[in-house]
Amino acid sequence: MSLKGNGSPVARRIALFGILMIFWYTLSGFLDPFHLGAGALCCAIVTLISGDLIFRSKRSLFDSARIFIRFVLYIPQLLLEILYANIDVAYRILHPAMPIDPGLITIETEFTGDVLRTAFANSMTLTPGTVTVDVSGGTFTVHALVLETSQKELMETRDIQNHLAKIFDEAA
Amino acid sequence: MLNTLALIFIAIGLFFMVVGAVGLIRLPDFYTRAHASGKCDTLGEGMMLVGFILFEGMTLIAVKLLLLVIFIFITSPTAVHSLVNVAHSRNIAPWKKGEERQ
Repeated sequence: MSLKGNGSPVARRIALFGILMIFWYTLSGFLDPFHLGAGALCCAIVTLISGDLIFRSKRSLFDSARIFIRFVLYIPQLLLEILYANIDVAYRILHPAMPIDPGLITIETEFTGDVLRTAFANSMTLTPGTVTVDVSGGTFTVHALVLETSQKELMETRDIQNHLAKIFDEAA
Repeated sequence: MLNTLALIFIAIGLFFMVVGAVGLIRLPDFYTRAHASGKCDTLGEGMMLVGFILFEGMTLIAVKLLLLVIFIFITSPTAVHSLVNVAHSRNIAPWKKGEERQ
């Protein structure tokens, strides 16, 4: 992946500066000239030094914003899945006989984007009884707490995978 | 009303934190323990922080707490993944059903 995003680096830097300023204000909570001035100075320095490291995808700023909004809309569903997965794990831990049958599963995807693969790996860790062990290219090795159920969930429904692929405009 | 809701959230969060700790003790090997700490702790912390947000109301502190929730939901699974990844690359064999616990 190239270090430079395409198109207007200035727009990306302005967006980064804006986000950093909002973050600064949220953390400081003061609106007087001194604190805002110090914040603007710090954010400007960060933007100058590492402006080309953040937002370095090849997509346009508009596309990135669209993906971000779609991802935010995906979060409630993810939270529900996380809650479900947690209740399942809690049940298995607290059950006197501990009905677990762990093992490793491999999942093939055609994901290429860094953010997409991170999102997928983290979703896998949080949701259906699996923890992502290894990622190489588009191949994910996951450790499942209950081999049979997880295999069924992962191989047949593939909900998370399809959702994330749709969100990030990539093939599942 | 809001305080009651906050207390419910905090109680559920505490429940999941306790379950995560119990899982650390009861589960048989490293990988399965990662399940307990990775999932239960993330949701437990998240729910407790949401409870604090409801308790706090619409203030700047609530926004900070929300940022904390987002931070935990990104970093916690990542940390668990890197732990498990190292264990895997060191060829620690996962526990199979019927084996002795490690």
